[in-house]
Amino acid sequence: MQVASASHCPPSTRMEVLRGLRSALPIMLGFIPFGLVLGAQARMRGFALFEVPMMTGLNFGGGSEFAAVGLWTSPPHILLIVGVTFLVNSRHLLMGAALAPYLRAIPRNKMLFCLFFMCDETWALSLTDARKTGFSLPYYMSVSLCLYMSWVIGTAIGAVAGPIMGDVSRYGFDMAFPAVFFVLLRGMWKGMASALPWGVSLGVAVAAYMVLPKGWYVPLGAVSGGAVAWVQARS
Amino acid sequence: MGAGTVMTVLTLLLMALATYCTRIGGYLLLNRQHIAPRTAKVMEAAPGCVLIAVLAPDFASGRMADLLALTVTLVAAMRCSLLVTVLVGIGSGWFFRMILPS
Repeated sequence: MQVASASHCPPSTRMEVLRGLRSALPIMLGFIPFGLVLGAQARMRGFALFEVPMMTGLNFGGGSEFAAVGLWTSPPHILLIVGVTFLVNSRHLLMGAALAPYLRAIPRNKMLFCLFFMCDETWALSLTDARKTGFSLPYYMSVSLCLYMSWVIGTAIGAVAGPIMGDVSRYGFDMAFPAVFFVLLRGMWKGMASALPWGVSLGVAVAAYMVLPKGWYVPLGAVSGGAVAWVQARS
Repeated sequence: MGAGTVMTVLTLLLMALATYCTRIGGYLLLNRQHIAPRTAKVMEAAPGCVLIAVLAPDFASGRMADLLALTVTLVAAMRCSLLVTVLVGIGSGWFFRMILPS
């Protein structure tokens, strides 16, 4: 699909699109199992079939989507879910700022559109690329669209297939959820400096979950962990 | 379209808006120098703190079988791929709940 649309472009653009395709391929394979698990879990939490690709297509941020599904109720707590989404994705602010100096040659409106697709992996690939040879928009968009399509399609397949195998929930299937989170957290690990804020966040959240009404444990835990990181950053 | 669906769609739209703001926010600020190093550290720590707090109910269940399964899953997550970790999580959850009924 990418290759076909690139055939009308000048050769250099076409090469960049193909280069993006090659970079994206192994990551796409990694996205599929995450997407299947997310789609299946969202359906277990009461998402309608169309709501799963709607969420992953409009939001396109795996960590925040797993968090939203974990906190999902019917009807959802809008403020909690939107707030958690913002916090989980707040790392994009730093990523965008790091990429910004390489984007000066690109018209702002075009870039505002293209940044919709920026995810951790695209950002890492494009920034490495930009440092070597300058930012390449065809390369960035090629990687972005490959990953975007595999995420939306993967989660949609999970949403269709999940309820078919629904019965496995009683065999410990709910442990798939913390398992995915642990793997996501491993990717965010920044050495031992991460241990204390995370530990405090978890401890406060567990305590808040046991004594306070539902909905308080995530903001209280996250704010406590953030406060520890704030104190740590001084030394 | 029922009231529940309207709430769901509204939540999903606002989620998408919040995420898009994080994607363009850094670009519009243009330069990392506008963010104080200390603020940057807190922003780096925030996503992990939020994700781990979301897991609180799993740790607060108080069931020995769940805590053992979580520990085994955590160890698996440090070394294995996603698929293996998920299988270890499901398998250990099934196993410990079978041998340690609550």
